Amino acid sequence: MTCDEVRLRLSLHVYGELSFNEEEAVETHLAGCEACRVALERTRLMHEAWDEMEAAPAPTMLASSRRELMARVAVARESKGWATRLAERLGLKWKLVSPIWQPLGAMALLVAGYLGARVGPLAPGRPDEASLAAPLASRVRYVEPETAGRVRVVVEEARQRVLTGRPDDEAIRRLLMAAARDPGDPGLRAESVNLLRGQLDSEDVRATLLYEVQHDPNAGVRLAALEGLKQFAGDPQMRRVLTQVLLSDRNPGVRSEVIDVLVEKRSDDVVGTLQELMHGEENQDVRDRCERVLASWKASAGTF
Amino acid sequence: MDETELIRAAQAGDERAFEELVRMHDQAVLRLAMNLLRSPEDANDVYQEAFLRVFRNLNSFRFDCSFHTWLYRIVTNLCMDALRRKKVRHEQKRPAAEDGAISDRIERVEEDRVHGDPQRALLSAELRERIGKALGELTPRERMVFELRHYQGMRLRAIGEVLGASEEAAKNCLFRATQKMRASLGDFV
Ligand SMILES: [Zn+2]
Repeated sequence: MTCDEVRLRLSLHVYGELSFNEEEAVETHLAGCEACRVALERTRLMHEAWDEMEAAPAPTMLASSRRELMARVAVARESKGWATRLAERLGLKWKLVSPIWQPLGAMALLVAGYLGARVGPLAPGRPDEASLAAPLASRVRYVEPETAGRVRVVVEEARQRVLTGRPDDEAIRRLLMAAARDPGDPGLRAESVNLLRGQLDSEDVRATLLYEVQHDPNAGVRLAALEGLKQFAGDPQMRRVLTQVLLSDRNPGVRSEVIDVLVEKRSDDVVGTLQELMHGEENQDVRDRCERVLASWKASAGTF
Repeated sequence: MDETELIRAAQAGDERAFEELVRMHDQAVLRLAMNLLRSPEDANDVYQEAFLRVFRNLNSFRFDCSFHTWLYRIVTNLCMDALRRKKVRHEQKRPAAEDGAISDRIERVEEDRVHGDPQRALLSAELRERIGKALGELTPRERMVFELRHYQGMRLRAIGEVLGASEEAAKNCLFRATQKMRASLGDFV
């Protein structure tokens, strides 16, 4: 091995990750080359400099992360049973629903109120205002410790009003569109989007779903909106938006779904987009999917 | 209980077993996320999401690989997503606050080193800045392989298994990462 070849391998040598043959050649060279031994010493120093860059968590952080996690797991344990039963009763697709029902807790009642629009009795004509005796919805707004081991809990309670009607009733649809953008509750947004899917001949509804697929912070909601927009996969404007989503969405599940929608129709644009995606894509599933599509179209996977 | 028993108990719904399982691994996960993302908020987000996914999907864990590998697949995916988002944000706000966080950290470190030789401290500040910048410029995949090998001490074979790559691919990735890191130090080494 030449000096240059040895220098290139010094870091891997320090890590002990060279192959058996490489290791032999490097050791032999080092034994007879003073300059490379100096370079090895400098490499060790460089590795030590890297060590010093480590950013460690503050000592209290682990405990507080654990506390938060256990609280969230406890919530997930409870809502899991509840959400499973509800989804079964409604025949919802569990795959789509499961990731977003987790943090519901007290909000579940409100969601159930909206679901009523689909499962309740469908009154013809105007939406029905029913059951003013509906249960109170309560939500913990604020908690703080008080003196003498007591705790103060501020609970917000609201008397619910239940509206039932068809999703194509103007009033119901407006409520669903507002709920689809509710910033506090991804479960509510997702179910509202699901219910709006049958109303896509309304331009407002299409705009709402387009907005959600691009901007909703929750991947489950973005997937629900995408599901609704599938039927417009041939529309040029829609394809432009979906291409943007494919290249910018941070969730690999969403990216995979967008690929499926876009490739239903082959076009040179899609080939180019997939090749572009392959450049920066880190997720193996998404890469595999891209590669399969490109291979089946006899297109190259790009430039590497 | 050993780990296998803990996993089976947690799969059967035992809350204490789940918590125990978390405690066996979560310190390393937090350290990894913190060093990669350099922000307590981002690191906590990854920690929460990773272990919630473990909780939700534990029943689908079939002992085909070690629990460590399974967990690290989840964690590294989340971290690389976060790194990619960070990169996008960083590129958008450039050059206004370039490496501000790193400079701040260096200043704090320098304040701590009141007894040190000032010349040496100065050199070390510039070194730190260069290394920090080079770390930030690695691709998320290179950064991850470098992290797992250099800071977490994992072997390349195990890293490949976590990232769904061959040992050879992980080795090439580590090679690229260390070459870039070395080049950034220029005449310092
Ligand atoms: Zn030599």
